[in-house]
Amino acid sequence: MRKQIHASLLGIAFLMTVAQTNAADLVMAIKAGPASMDPHFTATAANADAVKHIFDTLIRSGNNLELEPSLALSWTALDPTTWEFKLRKDVKFHDGSDFTAEDVKFSIERIPSVTGPNPTTIFVRRVKAVEIIDPYTIRIKTDGPAPSLPNDFVRLFIVSHKAAASYSTRDTAAQGFNSGKATIGTGPYKFVSWAPTQDLVLQRFDGYWGGTEPWDRVIRKEIPNDAARVAQLKAGQVDIISKVPASDVPVLERDSSLAVVKNESIYVSYLEFDFRENSPQIVAKNGAKLDKNPLRDPRVREAIDAALDRETIVAYALEDLAIVPTQLVSSNIFGFNKALTAPKYDVKHAKELLKDAGYGDGFKITLSYANDRMPMELGPTVAQMLSMIGITVEVNGVPAAVYNPARTRGEYSLNMASWGTLTGESNYTLSSLVHSYDPDHGLGTYNVRGYSNPDMDKLIKSASDEMDTSTRRHLLEEANSLVASDRPELALATLLSAWAMKKDKVVLTPRADEDTLAMNIRPAK
Amino acid sequence: MVAFIVRRMWQALLVIIVMSMLVFYGVFVIGNPIDVLISPDATQEIRQQIITQYGLDLPIWQQYLHFMNALIHGDLGRSFVYNMPVVELIASRFPATMELATMAILLASAIGIPLGIYAGYRPNGWPSKAIMAASILGFSVPTFWIGLMMIMVFAVELGVLPAGGRGEAVSIFGIPWSFPTATGLQHLILPAANLSLFKMSMMIRLAASGTREIMLTDTIKFARAAGIDEFTILRRHVLRLISIPLVTVFGLELGSTIAFAVVTETIFSWPGLGKLIIDSITSLDRPVMIAYLMMVSLLFITINLAVDLAYAVLDPRMRQGDGK
Repeated sequence: MRKQIHASLLGIAFLMTVAQTNAADLVMAIKAGPASMDPHFTATAANADAVKHIFDTLIRSGNNLELEPSLALSWTALDPTTWEFKLRKDVKFHDGSDFTAEDVKFSIERIPSVTGPNPTTIFVRRVKAVEIIDPYTIRIKTDGPAPSLPNDFVRLFIVSHKAAASYSTRDTAAQGFNSGKATIGTGPYKFVSWAPTQDLVLQRFDGYWGGTEPWDRVIRKEIPNDAARVAQLKAGQVDIISKVPASDVPVLERDSSLAVVKNESIYVSYLEFDFRENSPQIVAKNGAKLDKNPLRDPRVREAIDAALDRETIVAYALEDLAIVPTQLVSSNIFGFNKALTAPKYDVKHAKELLKDAGYGDGFKITLSYANDRMPMELGPTVAQMLSMIGITVEVNGVPAAVYNPARTRGEYSLNMASWGTLTGESNYTLSSLVHSYDPDHGLGTYNVRGYSNPDMDKLIKSASDEMDTSTRRHLLEEANSLVASDRPELALATLLSAWAMKKDKVVLTPRADEDTLAMNIRPAK
Repeated sequence: MVAFIVRRMWQALLVIIVMSMLVFYGVFVIGNPIDVLISPDATQEIRQQIITQYGLDLPIWQQYLHFMNALIHGDLGRSFVYNMPVVELIASRFPATMELATMAILLASAIGIPLGIYAGYRPNGWPSKAIMAASILGFSVPTFWIGLMMIMVFAVELGVLPAGGRGEAVSIFGIPWSFPTATGLQHLILPAANLSLFKMSMMIRLAASGTREIMLTDTIKFARAAGIDEFTILRRHVLRLISIPLVTVFGLELGSTIAFAVVTETIFSWPGLGKLIIDSITSLDRPVMIAYLMMVSLLFITINLAVDLAYAVLDPRMRQGDGK
């Protein structure tokens, strides 16, 4: 009894101390956090999302992934293999030293010796040499025509060549950057503290070249559990949360003290067909081996396309946190083809097509996907829709740790994933997914299922060499239209991202790449 | 006694070696960790470079020997995901989990045992029936659901306790602990209560059945005949005799709570080991998996050893076998 009284007294005491945060502090809860404070260690989107507060890039991607000058004021292609960058003057690092071309060169050259299992070398793979012309002019020699170099460079973070000098080997980098000794950038916030999966604490940098930020301190909490993130917002412990789960959006929208912001993301969920002659997971209905792979027949792919009701997929499987897609990239991506329309849902036509192709009785196929990455209902929904035209689908949802290696080994016939066009231009997606497999040129690296279309390869190759922007856009639009008509993959849904926040405290300008940056969050009036 | 401890340590070593082989083989069978971690747009050349850099192109037995060789030199390796020494990574999370687990177990024992003894002592009274019924609920309602309900009630509706996270920590002997501070304690209450419910129910049921059994024995009859008052009987005889199964359960539960508090840690965003191990499994971060499981094996072996030693203290009969 005594214990109980004591407990309730303590409870009252807590009432008064809970939820005391400074008005000028911003507390956010994000789904995935960084793996290192070294911006060159890993290429994950979550890492970039975190380090963008501390480090700048030469070129930055705007809210809709348009290229904007940051540490570089301008960039021009002097010839097909040389890019010249004019750097911004009077930029200070957090330790007060000046930013110069030396830091750019150092940052590029440091990458190979510190990068980890998800290498950031992909952002500088075209760079052959770095030439300093004067402290504010730098020239990059590429290994061939590289019109998309500026797009790659939006993820090239610039560290201080002085502060990071002794923390640029694989053994010393993590220690130097995670402790803050080398975490000296030119960005709007200074690093205070971080440890793996724990809060990232940042403090405003008053000497920032882009003007000062409204928040004294920013705390980014990593809360991967969806329910926990929502609970902390409702309990008032955090000001804003990222990646609101679809099922919680209507609930939070009804809460008068909260605001929900939805935005078209750069992620498209898609279905991918195997094109190899001998596909491992397709058999006749009775289990007998088929004499050829039905997915190689364009009529079969068209039939599957027509059998998938995108509206239902969006409304039910994705609970309206998505829109009906027209192609493999979202509308905010360079090369998005406005002329394309959503595939028409027509079961009758689909059945006819299958019959013409000689599969009137259908066949049996396994649909594989990572069940910890994809929306739960999507796989079964697709399976059910295909069963309407006589294709029996066995649903195989496995953890990403199993899915990714098995996919690379080519064990699947039909699989499903979501792809984000991180650089903001279609070539990134098309050259990885639908170009013929050509590891020597770094093309089709994700295309291990034998899809090869010479017309597609030609379009992608010309687009990646084309230095003229409008011609390049045209080529990519054409390539996107070819993907839609040849159907090497079928777009299922363009995903939306959602944030929820305290209405009276913050206002958010959303970003297409789903980054949740303090720089995009302003105090509410 | 020394021989006994040495034998136990031998067993520990064997368990650890077998386990490390299993983890190596398991990860090898699932696939290459690089395929889980790498960006899909990386070129083949970059992929190969990275695989070679981490020695993942070698035959599995060679990878294992390299690992064992480093281990003998005191190096457990670096996490693939965080590029930090795994020892450092685990050490940074351990205090939070330790704190949570200890609090939960203490709560379970301090509340569960007295309630259980009472329920066993007066089995027919309504309070006892209520206690036993509640303990069945504690067993059968899933932890995560209770956790979510606790958050709904105490954090969202009443707003008296935080919904998750760890409070301010103070450094004691260089280790950050949060229980001595006010915010630390606030943050600790809900997850510790949530984690303790199942264990508390178990303690209640064990103590109740033990007490009922012992109350009927001759020992108690004679004690009563000798005029010893009831409270002393409960304290000196009953508690003493039921404590062996309780200590066993206490030990086992402490181990499993530290090692597998994953669900509670996830719901309450507690920065402990649970999340680390789940992440390391989903990203095939082999060095972390191995080091963690090694630590857990060691922990269980140590706790079991401590439990065996506690038996010897509690029950003189157990001491005789080891007298030589």
